[in-house]
Amino acid sequence: MRWRRPVLVGLILALTLISAARGEAGVSVDDAWVRESPPGVAMMAAYMALRNNTPRPQVLVAASSSGFEAVMIHRTIVKDGMAGMAHTPQIELAPNARLIFAPGGYHLMLINPKQTLRAGDPVVINLEFRSGLVLPVAFEVRK
Amino acid sequence: MSPKFSFMMTTVALGAMLAGGWLAALDRETGSRAMLLPDRVMTVFPDPKPLTAFALTDQQNRVFDVSRLKGKWSFLFFGYTHCPDVCPTTLAELARARDNIARITAGAEDIEFVFISVDPNRDTAGKLGQYVAYFHPAFLGVTGNDAQIGNLAGQLGAAYQVAFTPGMEIYPVYHTTAVFLVDPRARYHAIFTPPLDAETISRRFKVLRELEGAKAT
Repeated sequence: MRWRRPVLVGLILALTLISAARGEAGVSVDDAWVRESPPGVAMMAAYMALRNNTPRPQVLVAASSSGFEAVMIHRTIVKDGMAGMAHTPQIELAPNARLIFAPGGYHLMLINPKQTLRAGDPVVINLEFRSGLVLPVAFEVRK
Repeated sequence: MSPKFSFMMTTVALGAMLAGGWLAALDRETGSRAMLLPDRVMTVFPDPKPLTAFALTDQQNRVFDVSRLKGKWSFLFFGYTHCPDVCPTTLAELARARDNIARITAGAEDIEFVFISVDPNRDTAGKLGQYVAYFHPAFLGVTGNDAQIGNLAGQLGAAYQVAFTPGMEIYPVYHTTAVFLVDPRARYHAIFTPPLDAETISRRFKVLRELEGAKAT
């Protein structure tokens, strides 16, 4: 049974290295999607689950995509029974925190798509963090 | 305040109406064998208010007035096509609700879904038509000038606010997230409030229609 410990240590080391390599960015994104929209619309929305895997806060400060004129971080707010949108200049993600962008809440507002997007089309949006990190994320258009 | 600022706020009585509707639904339930348990999704009004004259224009430039509401159940939703989040989410859900209703009841001949744009500066008839048809070919898109929209919105207690800024492509628009149900006698009969989901809307509506149908005969 003497061999077990070194193997275990080796395994942990390897896993750590792998995750360090993959998570070099330190931030991961799951379930990234864009809602398919009527043809000709000026505004669309992108949603995702954002996770900070680092022990430091990460601040999302901007987003951009070659498929749109501009991308803004927005949040739907409901006040006095009315829904509106609030521009969110930045979002701080605490260490190991997860933030969900979902309908009715945070979303990336996609302004003036350069072409009509159909379900299944890929869209790449770059998430920009204050640390200088730029994370290209593949979003899927869904109906 | 240089930008034209149009403002509508008639939600004052909404809270009281919600409470009243809740009680009414309770009352109806006890007075009928059919089930209409109150919930937070649909509130039925005890004494549906008849809508008075209003005039809007639909996506084919036809007049959309109170006569267009008669003889069918109308689901009304206020929004605008530059709305990236709430409007598409709601309209997609309403499209599913319409299909559900058509499937679980006698059909969809006596129901209509109307998207009312509060942003006529950007939402022309053509744009509205293209927009609503994407969600469902049977959906109607209507709009009008500020006074015309304000008239119907006021009657329903639907709040909205457009901070229109000439020359600006993007300006803030606020609008109620509720869906208003008008009965075949053009009376404001019930309100659906978020979170809206197609299954709940269609199920609740089916029961309401059965109750109202039974009462009419």
